[in-house]
Amino acid sequence: MCILTMKILPDHHTDAALIAKVKNGDERAFTQLVKKYEQTVWGFAFKLCRDKQKAEESFQDTFINVFRKIDQFDSRSKFSTWLYTIVANNCLMHRRKRKLDGLLESFDEAPDVENSEVQKQLAAWDDSPIETMMNKELRERMDAAIQELPDEYKVVFVLRDLEDRTAEETAKILKLSVPAVKSRLRRSRIFLRHKLHDMMTA
Amino acid sequence: MKHSRSQTKIHVHTLSCGKVYEHLCDNLDSKLDSEACRRIKAHIKGCKNCSALLDSLKKTVYLYKKYPAPELPEKSRKKLFAVIRLDKSKNRAAR
Ligand SMILES: [Zn+2]
Repeated sequence: MCILTMKILPDHHTDAALIAKVKNGDERAFTQLVKKYEQTVWGFAFKLCRDKQKAEESFQDTFINVFRKIDQFDSRSKFSTWLYTIVANNCLMHRRKRKLDGLLESFDEAPDVENSEVQKQLAAWDDSPIETMMNKELRERMDAAIQELPDEYKVVFVLRDLEDRTAEETAKILKLSVPAVKSRLRRSRIFLRHKLHDMMTA
Repeated sequence: MKHSRSQTKIHVHTLSCGKVYEHLCDNLDSKLDSEACRRIKAHIKGCKNCSALLDSLKKTVYLYKKYPAPELPEKSRKKLFAVIRLDKSKNRAAR
């Protein structure tokens, strides 16, 4: 294969080649696959759990799952989508085990933006550069706020806004409809904004 | 000509704030150039509430994007490969 075609080959194909090798038991190919995606998995797990130890467990579980279930992966689909699905399931599983405590339902039924935030008179946020505002107090508030989101909302916010996945890919990862993704994203953003509001208007 | 322009103007003002936000939701920085988008843009420009909301939403997302994430601990990577090797040898023994 010439260098030119290598260059224009989408990521998808290079992954497929790597995965085919892993399926054949190539340990070095698996190492390469881990190296390529370890930051993605670790970062995503950390953003979901917001706890180093839990993120580490999730990181381990995810790649062990990838290793064990690689035969189930359909090479025609995107590897990163499959990977995100495994991490998300892993992080959300703990909550499902505990059974839903009504938090999700109360979120689903809460009035949407039309009836809440936008109707009020909103104070504008401080115009100082965001970087200068990032201190311990704000980080703690941000942690608390995102932890208050039901996991099913948090995961949508993280995938869409922090991991920059499209609405379509997020829907695929979470087995949701695109409108459901959009509505959860809207509510999550409004919720987080509301939780940070008083610190940002001072 | 004059007539139609003033009609468009009326439309801008009747666009509800909630509708505006719904359109912006998918991409807070979307390039607004379709007819519907131009109406939204005009609304935001003239509506203090919507511009404050949009600005604060963008900042919310930006804050979370900038939240410092820790590096993957080296021991975590080592542990993973140790577990995988164990898994492989177990499978071989089972065969
Ligand atoms: Zn408005």
